[in-house]
Parts: sequence; C-alpha cells; structure tokens
Amino acid sequence: MDITSKIREIATRLLQNGEVDLFMAWEKGDLPFQSKPFFARRVEDVERIIFDEYSIHNLSNALLKFRDRQEKIGLVVKGCDSRGVVRLLEDGQIERDRLYIVGVCCPGMKDPLQAMRDYSGFNRNPEAAPLAAKCENCIQPNPVIYDELLGEEQPPRVQGERFARVRELEQLSPDERYRFFEDIFSRCIRCYACRQACVACNCRTCIFDETKPQWVGRETSISDNMMYHLVRASHMAGRCIECGECERVCPVNIPLMLINQKLIKDVDNFFGPYEAGMQYVEGAKPPLSVYQENDPDDFI
Amino acid sequence: MHNCNCENPLVPQIVEIVKIIDETPDVKTFHVRNENGVPFDVRPGQLAMVSLLPVGEGMFSVSWQEEKEHLQFAIRRVGLMTDELHSVGVGHKIGVRGPYGNGFPVEACQGKDMLFIAGGIGLAPLRSFIKYCLKHRSDYGKIQVLYGARSYADLCFKDELFDLWPKEKDTEVFTTLDRPEEGWDGHVGLIPSYLEELNPAPEGKVAVICGPPIMIKFALKSLEKMGYNDEQVITTLEMRMKCGIGKCGRCNIGSEYICLDGPVFNLAQLRKLPPEW
Amino acid sequence: MKVLNKNKLPAVFDKLAQQSELFVPLQKKEQSGFYSWKSFDQASDQLALDLLNVYLPPKQVLLPQTEKMYSFRQEEGGVAISEVYEESQPRVIFGLRACDLQAINCLDQAFLTRGFVDEFYKARRDNTTIVASACYKPGANCFCSSMGVDPLEPAGADAIIRDTGSEFFIWEARTPAGEELSRQLAEFLEEKELPLPQSQAFERQVDMEGVAEKLSQVFSSPLWEELSDACQTCGICTYLCPSCYCFDIQVKNQGEAGYRFRCWDSCMYGEYTMMAGGHNPRASATERFRNRFLHKLEFFNERYGMPLCTGCGRCIIACPAGIDISKIITAAKEADWSA
Repeated sequence: MDITSKIREIATRLLQNGEVDLFMAWEKGDLPFQSKPFFARRVEDVERIIFDEYSIHNLSNALLKFRDRQEKIGLVVKGCDSRGVVRLLEDGQIERDRLYIVGVCCPGMKDPLQAMRDYSGFNRNPEAAPLAAKCENCIQPNPVIYDELLGEEQPPRVQGERFARVRELEQLSPDERYRFFEDIFSRCIRCYACRQACVACNCRTCIFDETKPQWVGRETSISDNMMYHLVRASHMAGRCIECGECERVCPVNIPLMLINQKLIKDVDNFFGPYEAGMQYVEGAKPPLSVYQENDPDDFI
Repeated sequence: MHNCNCENPLVPQIVEIVKIIDETPDVKTFHVRNENGVPFDVRPGQLAMVSLLPVGEGMFSVSWQEEKEHLQFAIRRVGLMTDELHSVGVGHKIGVRGPYGNGFPVEACQGKDMLFIAGGIGLAPLRSFIKYCLKHRSDYGKIQVLYGARSYADLCFKDELFDLWPKEKDTEVFTTLDRPEEGWDGHVGLIPSYLEELNPAPEGKVAVICGPPIMIKFALKSLEKMGYNDEQVITTLEMRMKCGIGKCGRCNIGSEYICLDGPVFNLAQLRKLPPEW
Repeated sequence: MKVLNKNKLPAVFDKLAQQSELFVPLQKKEQSGFYSWKSFDQASDQLALDLLNVYLPPKQVLLPQTEKMYSFRQEEGGVAISEVYEESQPRVIFGLRACDLQAINCLDQAFLTRGFVDEFYKARRDNTTIVASACYKPGANCFCSSMGVDPLEPAGADAIIRDTGSEFFIWEARTPAGEELSRQLAEFLEEKELPLPQSQAFERQVDMEGVAEKLSQVFSSPLWEELSDACQTCGICTYLCPSCYCFDIQVKNQGEAGYRFRCWDSCMYGEYTMMAGGHNPRASATERFRNRFLHKLEFFNERYGMPLCTGCGRCIIACPAGIDISKIITAAKEADWSA
C-alpha cells in the first residue's frame, strides 16, 4: 500500500474512534505541484488527504494554533517536522498526550512555492530543481518521534561537508562579510514571514512586538533589518531544527539558513555535541537554556 | 466632514500640560492648552491623539473642553506611552491632534431623559456628554448616572460623582462597587445587575453606555430585557488606533472605522456590523 | 501611431530621470520590483518590462515601506516639530500593469477621500505620472478581468505602452500629464503603423456578482475556520499585494532629536489589534483571516464601491500555505457556509 493510502487508513481509524479531533496532513490543489496543508475533521474529509513529493510544509508549526485548546490532534511528520514536534514539547508548548504522530521517512521534497513561481510568468528563467533547496542538506530524513512509522528508512542527504557554505563565509574578511550581509539584508521587507513559518518562534509575545522597551525598530533600514535578523537568529541558537521553512517562504529570497547553520555549527562546537530536537527526553532543555559552570566563555 | 482645521491631520500641535489631577491609582486627568487657549474645538464624545513625541501616541476621548481654556483628558496608565505620560509634570509639552470621530448626538437627544451607564475609565468619554447636558440643563430632561468600578479607589471624578452632580436639578447618581469594601456603605454588585435592580423606565429615554467590552455587552442585554429599543441605546467604543483618520486600517468593525465613523454608535447601527469588538 | 524603440529605453529613462524620479520594473538579483532607475546596476540588474509582472508591487512608490513623517527636537522647556516630510518632487512610474494601476486607484480612494486627506500620500500622488503597460498575455494566476479591470485599457493611466512583440512599444498619451511626457520624449518617438498584438484569454476567472452581498451574511460561519486552517498569518500576502495599505506609526529617537515614521503593517499579525489593556478583538488566526478577506471583498466595496483585490495573482503565487483568494471568491457563492 502506498503512503497516501496508509495515512488515509490511519486517519480514518483515528477519527472514527475519536482518538483525534483533527488530523493534519496535505491535500492536492489544482496544479500537479500544488500540495497544501489540510486538516481533516470528519471521516468524509479523509479522502482529500494525500502525501506526495510536494508535501514539504512543516505541519508541527500548525500545532501552535491549537496550543491553548483541547483538541487531540493527529499529524503527519517527516524528519525535520518531527524535530519540530520535539521543539514544541521541549518548549512546553503542547502536551505529548494530545498528539498522535504519524512519521514518514522522507525521500526529499520538491518546493511547491518554487514551482509556482516558475509557473507564474514572474520568473525569467524557470529552473525546475530536482529537490527543494532545504532538502539538499538534510541530516535527518527519518522521524525522531512517532506513534506509527511509514516508509523506508532514508539515508541523510547531505553531500560533502555539511557546513561548506558557512565555512566559505567564515573565510571572508570582516569587511567582505559585512558587505555580503548588507547586501542580503537590504532587501528584507520585514514581512516577518520567517518568524511566522518558524516552529521555534513560539513566544506568546514576540520580542519584536514588545513595546516596553522596543528592542528593534520597524524601519526597513539596514541597521533595523540586521538587528531583526541577528536577534532572531540568536534566539534560534541551539533551538533551530533546520526545517528550512524560513528560507523557503521568504518572498525576497534571503539565505536565512546560512545564518542558522552558522549558529548550529557554533552551538555544536561550543556546547555540543548537540543537534536540536533529535529526541524527546522529558525535562531536557536546549544548551542555551541551561547554565552550567563549565560552559565555554572564551568568546565573550 | 470633520472639524479638524489642521494642515496635515497626522502632524500634532504642541500643547502644554497646565494641570494634573490624580483620579485613581492609575488614572490621571490632564488639562492641556496652547498659547491660544484650546488647540481646537471639540464636540462631546470626540477623540484626540495625545502624544509624548519621543515615545508614542494614544487615542483618548476628550473628557471635557473648558471653553477657550483647555482640553481635559482622563487617561489610564496601561501601556508604554501612558506609563511615561503619568511620570511627567505640569509644564511638560506634549503633542495633540484632532479632534476625531463623530461625537455624541447632542442635538438629537434634546428633550430626552438621559441614562448614563459607565464602568471604570468608561466614565471619561461619557463625562463630556454629562457635563454638556448639565451646561445646557433646560435642553434635557431627567439625568441619571449609573457608575461602577472595581473598588472605591478606582472611581474616577469623585468630586463630581458625589458632590457636584447630585446637587444639579433633577439629576441622580448611582454608584456601585464590584466587591464589598470597608468604609463603603453604598451598593455592591456589577453594573448590569444594578441596572436591572434600578430598572429605569425606557419611555422617552436615551441610554448611553461605555466601559470594558464585556460590561457593554452584558449591559446591552439588560437594557434589551428592560424594553429599550435599538435607537434608544448609544455606546462609544474603543479599539487600537494609530492614524486616527480612517486610513491605517486597524480600528475597523466591518466597514466602519471607529476613529472616523465612530466611536459613537447606536445599537441599531452596531447590530448591522460584525460582532468583532 | 507613435512608437518607441525598446533599444532606446535606457536613453529614454535617462531623459525622464532628469526631470523626475523614475521607477521602472527591475529584476535585481533574487528579487523583482519597482526601483528607481538611478539604482540600476548594469552588472547585476535587468529591466523587467517583458515579464508578466514583478513581485514587489509599485505601491512602494506612493506608500513606501518606511516613510518619515515629521521630525522633532527636544528643547528647553519642551519639544518642537522641526520638519514635516511631504515629498512632492515629481515621480514617474513606468511600465506597471492594469492590475497594479487599479490597486493605486483603490489606494487613492482610501487615502484621499472620506473626511480626511492623507497629506503624505497626496504629495506623492499629485506629483506622480503613470505610464502603464497594456497586458496581452495573462498569466496562470491572473484574474484582473474578473475584478473589473481591463488589462488593455489600464484605467487612470497618463500614458500607455503596448508591446507589439517586435522591437517597438506603441506609445499612447492619455492625459495632459501623458502629453507632457510625449513632449519630453519627442526625440525618441517615431511615427509608424504597427499591428496591435492579439490578446489571450484568461485561464482563471471568477464571478464577483453578489459576492460582497453573500459575504456580508456569513460572518459567523464555522467554514471560516476550515478555510483558514493552513494560514500561518505570515503576512506575505499583505506585503506583496499592490492594494493592501495598512500601516503602523512608530517613532525613532536619536538623542535629543527624533522622527515619527510610518511603515507597512499587516492585519494578519497577532498584535495588529492588540490593545494596551490586553483585549484583542481578533486574537485568533481565523478571525484575522476572515477580516482580511471580508475587507478585500466586502467592507472596502461597501465603503468605496470597488473591491480591494485587483486580480494580480501575487498572493496566490507566494502564499506558503496555498491559500487562494480566487477560491474564496468562488466559495462565497458555492460553498455551504452553514457546515
């Protein structure tokens, strides 16, 4: 039985038994590359569920909409998405017993957003990439937490050195590096989509919405834009689960994962070995949420 | 059209704080004027954007305009700007722009008996209407004010409530506290239930309500039970506002902007709008 | 008819840029939008007049992402306003499509009518000349014709260019301001008779008849929750939309001086209607989602007589959750709102 049929079977069973009130998966849009998040609430909805190579969205982010409610929720997660669930559990944002997690070993996804942009007529030279950019560096295609597991175990996708792009940037002089960042952040329009798409961004009142004091101004000046991205990335240090959604949704194509990967590398170096969200252990906290006497401090 | 005689409606005038009255632990009334007296003429129920220029702006109802003298704003300390405003003294210069909003239908209510219902800081916008009626006493019938707050300390405009207004011709003031308190031998209970106890008759009356949204919603239900029809009931609403001139989009209820088409609505108008306030 | 050789465009733009700040559609590395011709970098940028459209809309010219309003200075005994920034220098927007121009017509309604005039917008708008580009090949996500827009006759243009498919644009002045541009560009305009291109049909169409009326009746429907399920309230739709105009007003301080500015804001954010006391009339994503579509399709129509969506398709392209406004329009008429 293919994965879609297996998921539908599970969803039907869970909804019929009342084990879940809501089952999060995907449905098809009109075009072949359009798969989008879909929440089944009734058994009749289940026939709309699919799982295909465009099921790229991180559904663990959608759990945040339900954190203050009571529903029991079933959801389908791939490798990175399941790390997102661990993120939420570690951050105390949702209870494990409300979730029924269907894990799918991920063969790598294509990006429906990129496909749509190529199809739209807004792009000059459409290039159909075989895989979404975020999937090319995947270190964890297999779910790390689940109640049921589907699909064949997949090997990590990352070819060659995992942090090659980061090292390239590290090799630049401070001036060159500054010009690089100035260039990419000058195009930020402060739409905050990166924050909204991020499962690790789950503060009830985001620091950028605080008024007493206001930490970062809302102008799209270089200084405010840089501060926004640097502060957000710092809040992700040790917590980012590398799902790559931030970079994927950015409407002006800022290479956000570059910065996140730099911090992943640094946290692993200084406080590690550590990869965020790789397993759920009750009470475990990310390295920067816990103070230990022997924490390195020679970079301060 | 509006009565704002400004060149650019988003740019404030600079005024000086000439008097500050401590109403409650978190409410102060600020009297402001510029060198020409009042910065602009205000109808009862209209609003103005008050700003501490380096800090921010906030929309407040004008509690009263002392003719040619100064504007009064009763402002509760609740956020960034109001926090800072509460720490400045007399003589401090602030920004004010306006007036905005439609104001109360003072002409249409002439000849009616007036029932004012307010909770907490909600008395501030109603005060301009109450004082207007008292100033033009013969234009209005009986005046009743029903006012409540969490505690005695939270009652605003105490001297008017307990001393000045009850002395006016055919004017009654009913005050209630949410909870019993030592030293208080007045009524205890929430406003909607006190309202139903007093049961003021609807004939020839206009009811004007302001307070926290939850209080307004319950009070409207009580008035409906008591036989008030939708045209007889007026309320003044509040939303987060930034521009004050119906452009920035955020203070809408349906297709109406509270800063421009409101803040005063009668119940018939409110029922046509989505219940999202 | 008057025609303009595409090869002369850089010279045309240089000429126009002498008298005004000229905005043209450019592909700048990873993004595309309307940028000042002065910022054109031969090494990395490309003119995008041949593309269907660009991602960042031209509203940026009239309602910038960040716009200084007035500066102030703290002085002895008080504070004073130093300068009010009403930017009235001449501007030209060259090559925008009918959908984006109709969006500007919507912005004109919002900012210039109903009680108050937004003087900052007015200063820019009054001094902006618009050259629109007629659109003969609608894209897969375009549905402007369903929203009352004629892609061949962009309403409100001062001049129109038509891409004949050869190396010429046909140039048509429509207003005195357009005639003025014809005069400025006289040396570049030639007389030639060229056939107008064939216009192609729209793949995507919706029926707007009765939609506003229907939506006004379904405010409390539980269907809104399902429609908004996938929405992450990321705000991309509001920023790429040529007619979304909600803004925030904030302040920047630099020692004794500072300035108040306004910047784009989005009704999709949680703190959009958050009041200082903690009350939030639209606390949930569903409520904000519903408000956005009702504003686009019903409230704006009630208030100004036109929908606030012009069928440009950008939100459909860029929404990470696959939300599609044309589907919401269809759902208004066809879905079961009682479900």
